[in-house]
Amino acid sequence: MSDDANNTTPTEPQLLGVLAQFPDAHDLVAAARKTTDEGYRKVDGFSPFPLHGIDEALRAPKTILPWLVFCGGVTGCLVALCLQYYVNGVEFPFIYSGYQFPISAKPIFSLPANIPVTFELIILFSSLTAFFGMFALNGLPKLHNPLFRSERFSRVTNDGFFLWIDAGDDKFDETATSDWLNSIGATSVEPISEVVEGRQVPAFLLAVGAVGAAVALVPPLWVAAAAGTSTSPRLSLWWDMDYQAKFKPQTTSDLFADGRAMRKAPAGTVAWGSLQEQQDQRYFEGIEPDGVAAHRGVPAQFVSAQVEGDAPAEAPPEPNWTKDFPVEVTEELMERGRERFDIYCATCHGKAGYGEGLVTTRALSLNQGTWTRPLSLHDQAVREQPVGRIYNTITNGIRKMPGYRLQVDAEDRWAIVLYVRALQKSQHASLDEIPEELRPKR
Amino acid sequence: MATADFAFGNPDISPTEEWVEPHLVQGENTTYDSITETVCSIAENPRPPIAWFVSFFIAANVAGMFGALIGWLLITGVGVWGNNNPVFWGWPIVNFVFWVGIGHAGTLISAILFLFRQHWRTSINRFAEAMTIFAVVCAGTFPGIHVGRAWFAYWLFPLPTSQLSMWPQFRSPLLWDVFAVGTYATVSLLFWYMGMIPDLATLRDRAKHPIRRFAYGLLSMGWTGSAGHWHVYEKAYGLLAALATPLVLSVHTIVSFDFAVAQLPGWHTTIFPPYFVAGAVFSGFGMVLTLMVPAREWFGLKHLVTTRHLENMCKIIIATGSMVGFAYGTEFFIAWYSGNSYEQFAFVNRAFGPYWWAYWIMVSCNVISPQLFWIKAVRTSPLLMFIISIFINIGMWFERFVIVMTLHRDFLPSSWGLFKPTLVDILMLIGSFGLFFTLFLLFCRFLPIIAMAEVKQVMHMERHGH
Repeated sequence: MSDDANNTTPTEPQLLGVLAQFPDAHDLVAAARKTTDEGYRKVDGFSPFPLHGIDEALRAPKTILPWLVFCGGVTGCLVALCLQYYVNGVEFPFIYSGYQFPISAKPIFSLPANIPVTFELIILFSSLTAFFGMFALNGLPKLHNPLFRSERFSRVTNDGFFLWIDAGDDKFDETATSDWLNSIGATSVEPISEVVEGRQVPAFLLAVGAVGAAVALVPPLWVAAAAGTSTSPRLSLWWDMDYQAKFKPQTTSDLFADGRAMRKAPAGTVAWGSLQEQQDQRYFEGIEPDGVAAHRGVPAQFVSAQVEGDAPAEAPPEPNWTKDFPVEVTEELMERGRERFDIYCATCHGKAGYGEGLVTTRALSLNQGTWTRPLSLHDQAVREQPVGRIYNTITNGIRKMPGYRLQVDAEDRWAIVLYVRALQKSQHASLDEIPEELRPKR
Repeated sequence: MATADFAFGNPDISPTEEWVEPHLVQGENTTYDSITETVCSIAENPRPPIAWFVSFFIAANVAGMFGALIGWLLITGVGVWGNNNPVFWGWPIVNFVFWVGIGHAGTLISAILFLFRQHWRTSINRFAEAMTIFAVVCAGTFPGIHVGRAWFAYWLFPLPTSQLSMWPQFRSPLLWDVFAVGTYATVSLLFWYMGMIPDLATLRDRAKHPIRRFAYGLLSMGWTGSAGHWHVYEKAYGLLAALATPLVLSVHTIVSFDFAVAQLPGWHTTIFPPYFVAGAVFSGFGMVLTLMVPAREWFGLKHLVTTRHLENMCKIIIATGSMVGFAYGTEFFIAWYSGNSYEQFAFVNRAFGPYWWAYWIMVSCNVISPQLFWIKAVRTSPLLMFIISIFINIGMWFERFVIVMTLHRDFLPSSWGLFKPTLVDILMLIGSFGLFFTLFLLFCRFLPIIAMAEVKQVMHMERHGH
């Protein structure tokens, strides 16, 4: 069919071709073959369903659609692989970087896990190409077609079979071509003209287009607004918990009579973490109330780090450690201490306290340079330490040993100290100190 | 629109009638025009049957209830469901897998039977494709609202958002699902719409009312039925069918990965992908029968959708139903044969645990009822077919329920717990059927429910042996 509708004479109808109707599909295919044999080239058939043989009869070239679809599939494959590699495989220091998110030590980019999405995108891209390729190759959608002026042609989608010879054909001549069509069995022959009117785009289409263009601008603008460096609040359709009604510290408020956003602590409350010192320094810190609270609550590692500076800081004064237990010493407490010691301490210090726990043994066998072997609890120096000092070591740690304040509560720490004392006693007791009935019989 | 298989090359070869017996299109004096008249008059009838109005009224109300429940869920949160620890998935995922499965028969009829040149598909494929689209719509709703804050469902897509500062995890089966179901919905829609273009053009050419003419004119994209257009169209349709075939198999395979990639006993099996696909096709064909049997009665399509069509579908149901039954047996066998006590417990618990009733509903509906189709009298009686298809739908829903409820016994006894659906769960399942039937009834009312062009082509072949 001719598409040269942009003719120069706006009032005069221009002949586009002739349309001939045939009674049946067979007749149409036969007529098409005869017409092309006769020498016509710009010929087209119209039928309500696809006809076998008409492509050959019309000498139509094969469509390139399968190749387009193939290219679509390859594109889909590449897009999927690049997308997955970019999104989960790389990380850059800018805003739309990918995001490396390792799970269970699986590789960041693992092809087997990426196959499902790749497969789906190959299908998706191929299908979209097949669909839109069909429209593109057929020149659809078409808003205007002069063929629809023909009353008869409306049967083409029902049971009409038509042959069209375009006026642009070299052999075309209105009367001769019509006669030819009649001679090969056409039931009717009708010339189709383009009636050129002052064709204008309807106003409502313009309106729809303008609204559509405006709507199409929203997503890129939104992305731009979300990605920008503006300090004003972000555009949020749903705020969720991004912004909350709240008072910030050190600001004013109309809510309270004193105009302060922050509240003073009610009388009698104790600030978090300050309860222990206020309550019982002996029990919670192992220090006599009149003693000096040296590096209270500072983990041992940090204390030594401070000491190791260029100018050796003066060693902090030794506090006045508690010499006796601030808890009641019972058999029960000792048992509790043994249990806790075996759980928390024995892995490094060993069950007997000689510093031969499993972790230590393993670290030494691996020659771990960073490992500090724990002191034997039976060292003279340790045995002479007051209980408060041992308690402090358990609480805040020393050298490599972390503080166990958070894992073991104060009562249990004292139980462990008691058990440590018992352990030391067990290795250094003289015969006199052992009750008569427990001494080995000679 | 298959021509290649009859490309004898030489049109002078005398017509061979033996290949179609009995005729695919029955009835005296059936012409191209009479087919157009039959099919188009359904969409053009200014006074649809009263049954349509009654059905539509009910379906639309149920769909409205579904919408209201979704609204309530969005305002309140997913706590309105019975989902709990350890059954975090509950009914939403059951409904999702169920609906996705329903959709599969549509694509299978359209694409696979098309590729195998099964001409009996022509009068039922439009129906089945529409069913696919609407089932996928219902399916997509459930994971969409199951994410909790549904307005963030777009986080599943690889979109650049600085708000999130991270990308979706492409090694997760749940994300594969997004791509699989998204692609499936898109391709099914394209396939359905593309198949409909020539028939929409028929409706356009017959339309009297300007609004109808405009609407069908817009939808038919200026289709004329030119030989050149048909050539590209057939190629594109064949390609879409060829693409949809592996797609339909992949979709339910990926849905099954949601389960199979987990470490849970009873789920962590390689049988899941084929078993899920067979189940999906099985349930889909069940639903096609459920819809087709009453529709051909109401719309007077018995000469187009013949008993032979229905019989063929029953045969596919026997095949897929037997596969599903075989899979149930295999699961038990493997649990015993593997010697894995967790696996064994999972299956014994399915059959005799707290949800034994669901398991046995599933077995009786899915294993026993399709076997009745071996009897010729059963598979040629529309009434019995309809009843059995309902059983299949019920059974396949319970199959997904049983699989999900395996969650109630985890490895750790500390996380054991039973799932109890709430009223909202139950109403939402019913509501999704309302949505499905509303869409379907609208489709019956306004679009060509039989692929006219394809039926005419088959008629042409029968008459002339092309």
